[in-house]
Amino acid sequence: MAAANMTAGQDRRAVAAGQITAGVILLAALLALASVGYHAVERVRDTPVVAFIGEHPLLNAFAKSFIVANFVTLHVLFLIWWERKFAGWMQARLGPKHVGWNGLAQTVADAVKLLLKEDIIPAKADGRLFVIAPFLVFMPTLLTFMVLPFSASWVGYNFGLGALFALAVSTNVSLGILAAGWGANNKYSLLGGARACAQVLAYEVPLAITVLAVVAVSGTVSLVDIGAQQSRWWNIVAHAPVMIPAFVLFLICALAELNRTPFDLPEAESELVSGFHTEYSGMRFAFFYLAEFANNFFMAGLAVTLFFGGWFGPLLPGPVWFTIKTVGLVTAMMWIRWTVPRFRVDQMMGFCWKVLVPASLVVFCASALWGMWVQR
Amino acid sequence: MRRKHGFWIGFVSVFRGLGVTLLNLVGRRKVTVQYPLERPKVSPRYRGLFYLPFDEEAGRLKCVGCTLCAQACPTKVISMKKLGSGKHAGVSEFTMDLGRCMFCNLCIEACPFDAIHMGPEYELASYNRNASVFTIVDLAPGGAEAVRRNNATIEAAIKAENETGGSERKGHIAEVKLVVPPKTGGQEA
Amino acid sequence: MAGSEAAQVRLEPDGGMTVNLGPQPPSTHGVLRLMVQLDGEYVRSCEPVIGYLHRGLERMFEARPYRQLVPFTDRLDYLASLNCNLAMSQAIERLGSVAVPERAQYIRVILCELNRLASHLVFFGTFAQDVGATTAFLYAFRERERILDLLEAMTGARLTYNWIRPGGVPADLPEGFAEGVLSFVRDLLKELPLYDRLLTNNPIFRMRTEGVGVISRDVAVAFGASGPVARGSGLSYDIRKTEPYEVYDRLDFDVPVYDEGDCMARYRVRMDEMCQSARILEQCFRDLPEGDIATKMPKVFRPPAGDAYSRTESPRGELSVYMRSDGSPNPQRVHVRAPSFVHLSMLPCLLRGVKLADVIAILGSLDTVLGEVDR
Repeated sequence: MAAANMTAGQDRRAVAAGQITAGVILLAALLALASVGYHAVERVRDTPVVAFIGEHPLLNAFAKSFIVANFVTLHVLFLIWWERKFAGWMQARLGPKHVGWNGLAQTVADAVKLLLKEDIIPAKADGRLFVIAPFLVFMPTLLTFMVLPFSASWVGYNFGLGALFALAVSTNVSLGILAAGWGANNKYSLLGGARACAQVLAYEVPLAITVLAVVAVSGTVSLVDIGAQQSRWWNIVAHAPVMIPAFVLFLICALAELNRTPFDLPEAESELVSGFHTEYSGMRFAFFYLAEFANNFFMAGLAVTLFFGGWFGPLLPGPVWFTIKTVGLVTAMMWIRWTVPRFRVDQMMGFCWKVLVPASLVVFCASALWGMWVQR
Repeated sequence: MRRKHGFWIGFVSVFRGLGVTLLNLVGRRKVTVQYPLERPKVSPRYRGLFYLPFDEEAGRLKCVGCTLCAQACPTKVISMKKLGSGKHAGVSEFTMDLGRCMFCNLCIEACPFDAIHMGPEYELASYNRNASVFTIVDLAPGGAEAVRRNNATIEAAIKAENETGGSERKGHIAEVKLVVPPKTGGQEA
Repeated sequence: MAGSEAAQVRLEPDGGMTVNLGPQPPSTHGVLRLMVQLDGEYVRSCEPVIGYLHRGLERMFEARPYRQLVPFTDRLDYLASLNCNLAMSQAIERLGSVAVPERAQYIRVILCELNRLASHLVFFGTFAQDVGATTAFLYAFRERERILDLLEAMTGARLTYNWIRPGGVPADLPEGFAEGVLSFVRDLLKELPLYDRLLTNNPIFRMRTEGVGVISRDVAVAFGASGPVARGSGLSYDIRKTEPYEVYDRLDFDVPVYDEGDCMARYRVRMDEMCQSARILEQCFRDLPEGDIATKMPKVFRPPAGDAYSRTESPRGELSVYMRSDGSPNPQRVHVRAPSFVHLSMLPCLLRGVKLADVIAILGSLDTVLGEVDR
């Protein structure tokens, strides 16, 4: 029996090695394809048709929204697969394995399943709030992607107040969560919704202050300009003394904004079943899920723009570099998520007001002084 | 001062925790058994689905229908129909309602002839309750053919005995029904 | 329209809210229902509702001959069924004054300590899950799986073992069992510091457990707490030491005691007990004598009229069986003193004024098993 186990182990190791090789080859192919695709798109941009669309205000807006909406929906399919796979490996499991190569199409299958499920609205629920809540959660997410700069030219809308706009819009997620919690007419949902609202609003304060710290160093609020300044050195390297603490604070606040462990109190599984989306199923649940992962990508993308040099990197084109960095940061957030326990509600609020807010204020003042010193 | 010290220890220990998960991410074997595709090997003593061993030499099941297993069973899972008696005793029916079975091994230990065993089969779920009732055809390793051979061998033996008339005791059929356990006093008494 | 017509979540006149935790949510460790009166996030009062798993086991014991009792005890504390087997077997042996061979006693201790390790690993995993750390659960179950494999090789079953019987054990250790256990123990001792790094030292975990659900020494005594709950409250009380059974008096092990009485203390007691169980296992294999593995019991066992009480230290606390015989083949009365039941009765007093999230942490730290509570 021991011998059998041994050979099974060796087989397994050989299979794992094969999988890793295949994964690396696939990744390389994907990156090559992305680069080729990037250049193709850049060339298409110069064609008269695209130029016409670009100049027509309505068509322009429509085309950009179309691209953003599709990107948001489709990249989440990959992110969910990656999270499940990553969590699986971390927990000595294999993760999804059967639908497609290493379960790559598992999320697609899940999405199809969710879309085909019966649309259930509980009898005692507040129908209108219940129906509208998933869209209230999803819409701010879409809007934030409009200002996320994948490169200097690959940005939905080059907005002068990009950073502030992104923060202002992403806070509106809490409105949708509160609507979901109240509308479902379920006690778990209500508690989850109330927790989410309090949490998102509280952590918005230190988050905004840390973003302002970056603004103080860069001297601009436009995300594209902040990114463009980092062509030589990333902010976190160039302004390390103030930017490293700012990044740590930003990461903590981002985790809280995203309702991810250790701040997943709104959907705390062990006490609130699934918190504010307890009563949701099918497509509406899918929207919450979509929004959660899209928000995750956005927050990581914001961090990359603010601290990690945005789209700058050698060899590969800008948008590809941006995506690589962002997925890397998303992975780091997953790593934290699958390692630490959850805060209690009073500890979570106390941590925000007693630790994060003062700390972020200190970092902000330090960055302001640092910015003055650097510019001189 | 002490509090601050604790804060730094806590801060560092978060990263140590992250190190543990990283270690498991890259440095440890994944333990998943992909069940329907890979099936775990069970140990030789595994207590799975019952079977009634077939004695190839004698051409019949080993079971002699003594009902010791039925008496040893705490949940009265076993019922049987005895075929023949004395030297040629056997069973023609042997039914186990595994919906009640605790797989406690007591029947196997009670059997003096090694005539009931638990095998490595563990996929016993079914879509209806009747499917958890296993008859002699399900329990005998050769299925209906083995039961037919068992019955034929025993009946032939009884017939031969009755014809020669050598024995005082004639072969007869005895039956044990499912019984509700009595409140006090063993059925052994 | 729907909004105005449908009553929103019902509040009590004073603004409170009653929330049912259980019997289905994942964190209540079995089919326990907690009716929690909430004031915002604060718990005003909590009433555990039990009985969802009641099977009338004590009555079933009375209707069975002695030899058939043990399989039912598997269904008491299903995370440590061998410990329950032991309590029942001991009661029957004391009733009939049956001596157990020495080798059988060692094997029993080995099995019980393995099962204790398995049970504490489940505690570690589920407690981590209760406070929100998902990954520790799978690490704990990975190690527990190895114990289950070992016990499967020994007993043929993976959960309901039924392998400690009146008189001894039904079969000897299989080949390679000692090596398997010892190599597992070595690996576990290497693994436990990693658990500490992952969870015990984590600041969030400490915030969630330190000072939460404090049971003072007096309260623990008053409620009759035992096992890790009592030892977490500063009571050095372990049946294996105070009233040794089997061969525990010949084994050298410590009883971990913590004085804080909070969730962390109970957690630490169990983590330390795993090391002690590992020590006991190593000593057992060192000292394991040759000899019989069971005393032959008569087919119809009729102990003389009288009664017997057997106390054992199960992973959850003091598990005792009281048994009275009237000379017939069936016991006249059997009672099981289940530690989980006693600990669960402390819950309403422990949960007053804590936060909702603490309810789950405190319940998890008591480590109740509902099979034992409802019987």
